[in-house]
Amino acid sequence: MDIDADRVQETTTTPANGKGDESMVVIERLVKQFGRLRAINDLSMTIKTGETYGLIGPNGSGKTTLIRMLVGLLRPTSGTIRIGGERVPSAKVAATLGYMTQLSALYLDLTAKENLRFFSSIYGLRGKEQARAIQEMLERVELADRANDVVGTFSGGMRQRLSLACALVHRPRLALLDEPTVGVDPELRRAFWDYFAQLNREGVTIIVSTHQLDEAAHCTRLGLLRFGGLLAQDTPQQLLLQSGKDNMEDAFLYFASHKEEQL
Amino acid sequence: MNLARISALASRIIRQLLRDRRTLALIFVVPVVIMTLLYLVLTNTNSVHTLALVRPTGTGSDQVNTLINSLLPGKDTLHVININADQVDSTLKGGNADAAIVFPANFAQAVASGQQPAVQIVLEGSDPTVASAMKDEASGLLHQLGVALYVVKLQQSQAAPTGSIGSLPLPLAVSTPRYIYGGAQYTYDDALAPVFIGIFSFFFVFLLTSIAFLRERSQGTIERVLVSPLTRAELVVGYIGGFTIFALVQSIVVLLFVVFVLRVHYSGNLALVFLVTVLLTIGSVNLGIFLSTFAQNEFQVVQFIPLVFGIQIFLSGVFWPVAQLPVALQPVSYILPLTYANDALRGVMLKGNTFVDIAGQLAALLVFALFMVLLSTLAMRRRVV
Repeated sequence: MDIDADRVQETTTTPANGKGDESMVVIERLVKQFGRLRAINDLSMTIKTGETYGLIGPNGSGKTTLIRMLVGLLRPTSGTIRIGGERVPSAKVAATLGYMTQLSALYLDLTAKENLRFFSSIYGLRGKEQARAIQEMLERVELADRANDVVGTFSGGMRQRLSLACALVHRPRLALLDEPTVGVDPELRRAFWDYFAQLNREGVTIIVSTHQLDEAAHCTRLGLLRFGGLLAQDTPQQLLLQSGKDNMEDAFLYFASHKEEQL
Repeated sequence: MNLARISALASRIIRQLLRDRRTLALIFVVPVVIMTLLYLVLTNTNSVHTLALVRPTGTGSDQVNTLINSLLPGKDTLHVININADQVDSTLKGGNADAAIVFPANFAQAVASGQQPAVQIVLEGSDPTVASAMKDEASGLLHQLGVALYVVKLQQSQAAPTGSIGSLPLPLAVSTPRYIYGGAQYTYDDALAPVFIGIFSFFFVFLLTSIAFLRERSQGTIERVLVSPLTRAELVVGYIGGFTIFALVQSIVVLLFVVFVLRVHYSGNLALVFLVTVLLTIGSVNLGIFLSTFAQNEFQVVQFIPLVFGIQIFLSGVFWPVAQLPVALQPVSYILPLTYANDALRGVMLKGNTFVDIAGQLAALLVFALFMVLLSTLAMRRRVV
């Protein structure tokens, strides 16, 4: 895992030297209100092209709400989201997104291959290109030998792997993954993170939400979310450094109490 | 509208249905079983009724009895026994016969001497359906006997004007009924078969769509689909495509079965039956999507069945014509799609109606279908996620 110290700076909208500094996602003053509950509270942030951005926070901190707004399932109460310069929701943006929900949303009565075929078809993949992408993803998530088995017979971890494959099979430019590693065993989890890094190198931007703080170190940058707002945002190393702690869990708690003191 | 995405969705739905053996059985076997049951119940092929005869015994009755024997229908469903005049009530009460025809002993003599002897029909009467059928059977037999006696009289007066029945009274000459639609061979089953083709496609498609769509929501796959470039309109069209194909195959199976196995009578162009099915199914798919957005689970979907199905069975003219319904209920009938489908299907299969004849009903079904497409698309926008 290589972390580029230059990326720490909060230079956002202006593309600087090098393609890696372009911003993929620009969120400005985002608010989402559900009745009396304010799920996202005046959130502004920028996610750069080719990074893996980790959304960290406890349950109810707004991670899933934010992701659902990014993919266009929810409309913001106020504020704007731009993906690749385009305001969402937009059909043009939709075609470039990959989305993995918290539930491993799959058709249980179809085989692994049929699931991949359907999801890649609705993103426009056809013929040989589609077959190649499907085979590649099946091997990537180590399900090639179960390709023609009905998903209903899969274990939780296998479903989670297939769910990831379905989110990435059409080669999205921005992948939004809601808790992708839940139920995946440590060895494969490590392979996932290696794969994410590889995707980053190919220019794919990844936004990942997790509450497994030990995993957060794999991300390029982290945003600590609480009550729908950003507590802190930096590389994992910098966050550890700033908090003076030696693990992310303590660091998170540090920033949480730190913020409360400020209020 | 992207055709490739729509066909990806439609073929996924077809694949899912093909994989689900129980659902396949539901779609294809259940209609066949129900049609068979309906056929058996309505044509009473299983129930053997017994007719008791108290035959004439006096002079010249041999010839009359020969005539009666030749007129008795050679049906498996009608069993004929001979009893004496004093056994009539005890035979019927004892359940040994459902009806009796009591000829006076001197019947032949009376006929020969130019009188009109009274023949009595006695019905058991505890089951109105049986009583009515037996009454028809008995009076039909007597009617035929009357005509036959007349013919005998004619023959005898022309060829060999001798014999005991020389001076028969002139019975009423009634020709066999002429039918505008259908014919004597048409039974109640023939009138019900067309509408059941419509009911099956409407009901099963509604049930399957609402559950399939509910599963998309509860499994979360709908989110993936909605996030993708596939639009809501394409989603609706893809669903229509997948389920309409199944409804069509189902209609073909049911139609082939009722026409070739049950030998239901029909006239008219069967292609029009499929046109009605398609329009009805489009409405049904979208009604399913629309209502399933109000349901949280499969059990709640099932609760919609009486609402959707019960009302239509009673008010759409399946068993009782809409015109015979209480006036207050008739407006309800005219907002139900099955009312128009039933009209059109009966029109095609019983009356041999053409496209032009049922254009009005087709238009009504189209309006219903488009209205439901609109509703389901709107409901999806508001309630799905």
